[in-house]
Amino acid sequence: MILRVEKLNLSFEDKSGKRKILDDVSLSVEEGEIVGIVGLSGAGKTSLLRTLNLLQPVDSGSIFFDGLDIVGLKESEVRNVRKKIGVVFQSFNLYRYRTLYQNIAFPLKIQGVSKKEVEERVMNIATELGLEHRLRAYPSQLSGGEQQRAAIARALVMDPKMILLDEPTSALDPKTTCRLLDLVVSLNEKHGITFVVVTHDMDVIKRTCDRVAYLQNGKLDFFGPTHEFFVKIENNEVSDFGKPLELEKGLLSANKKILRVLFWGTRTHEPVLWKIAKENDVMINILYGKIEEFKNGPFGTLIIGVEGEKQDLFVEKLRESVFFLEEVC
Amino acid sequence: MLSQIFDATLETLYMLLLSGFLATFLGIPLGVGLYLCSRSRGLKGLYALLDLLVNIFRSIPFIILVLLLIPVTKRVMGTIIGPNAAIFNLTIAAIPFMARLSENSFNGVPSGIIDSSNSMGLNRWQMVTRVLIPETLPDQIGNVTVLLINLVTYTAIAGAVGAGGLGQLAINYGYYRFQWDVVLYAVIVLVAISQLLQFTGGKLAKRLRK
Repeated sequence: MILRVEKLNLSFEDKSGKRKILDDVSLSVEEGEIVGIVGLSGAGKTSLLRTLNLLQPVDSGSIFFDGLDIVGLKESEVRNVRKKIGVVFQSFNLYRYRTLYQNIAFPLKIQGVSKKEVEERVMNIATELGLEHRLRAYPSQLSGGEQQRAAIARALVMDPKMILLDEPTSALDPKTTCRLLDLVVSLNEKHGITFVVVTHDMDVIKRTCDRVAYLQNGKLDFFGPTHEFFVKIENNEVSDFGKPLELEKGLLSANKKILRVLFWGTRTHEPVLWKIAKENDVMINILYGKIEEFKNGPFGTLIIGVEGEKQDLFVEKLRESVFFLEEVC
Repeated sequence: MLSQIFDATLETLYMLLLSGFLATFLGIPLGVGLYLCSRSRGLKGLYALLDLLVNIFRSIPFIILVLLLIPVTKRVMGTIIGPNAAIFNLTIAAIPFMARLSENSFNGVPSGIIDSSNSMGLNRWQMVTRVLIPETLPDQIGNVTVLLINLVTYTAIAGAVGAGGLGQLAINYGYYRFQWDVVLYAVIVLVAISQLLQFTGGKLAKRLRK
């Protein structure tokens, strides 16, 4: 476990009184994992991220990073912890009057790394991130995607154990977003870097996150594997991210029994439905279906109508073979 | 008369550049101090005090300040007339001005840049020398330009109370002896100096702004 947060409380004081931002939040991140922090604007996700390297001091609670509780450390010790945690901010925050090369080299230079080693590491990372031809440009001359990658390069150059990403896709177009997500996953797989990502972009969660922490009004409402989070969305238990598919009234009346079936993992690619339907001699009518590639496996959603004498038995059998099954009517 | 104008111009430039130099290198650290105090929870009281002092010094008209400083000037510089005494007065007047200008520029650094610098584990000294000053460099060049142009006016005022330079020339020969051409020449030179400063400062700041 690289990070463990226990009973974190944070409140801000303003004219209208004390406002609770984080309310007894506890979660943990394993080494090499990508964890998403999701929630609506104002739910406290960015505040939570900022507490993780103590950019935001907390009221109470503990933050164990690499086994060490960093809450209450001296300022000089906090600085040493921060050097092991890379942060990529929503607005990239590159130094305006330094070239891309100087920006990436900056964290190394302030630590007194030799010029030769700085050059080697900057060149390696710039090449890996496809920035090697832009090294002499200033941030204002870079595109949004390049600035984003530059900020990631600047975080990577310190060889961090963990990188915090704050809303990494909010300023990017869909194509650049796609490239960024591939990059995050590849850095995670190749270098084993742990990521904590704050986002409200469902694509980011689906494609990069192993686990999801869902914050609502400063409280941790859910913390678990990504596919389980999407089951919650499908079940309407989480309404912040759009509603599950509503079925037409006409469809409902034309079919005797309607099932919502969710597949997850390797079984998604097996003809489970067909086998069980054949064994029980029922007719099935597919009303809706999709398969999405999550980071840790495919996730399928299917809505089917069923008709036949042994339809109840079919439902029982199917329930055993799929990840989740619900009778809609 | 031409050689007199020439000498007076040199004297003015001497006062201007030396006091400008001193005010820049004493005022910016004070500006850094103001900025850091204003952002540190424990130093709000010190900030209030520094802030008040800066405001007081800035609101005293320069000619009054020169009069008030006479005992101090005499002690420190040994005399109250001549360019060197004037440089002391000019520097004292310009330090709070430069401090305030640079503090404003530091406040203009995006908070995100401060955040990400803190996240890299920079200490306070590195924060000042590697982030705050480089990130405000074009602004500071602009500030020094404004400072120097203000000092052009101040040197002329100082001239009226014995500092020498173009101000004194204009008062003594032009105003008291009704040689209005001397006043005119002095004004032309002062305007030219200001224009040159503005032009150079503007160019330099523009080159640094990417």
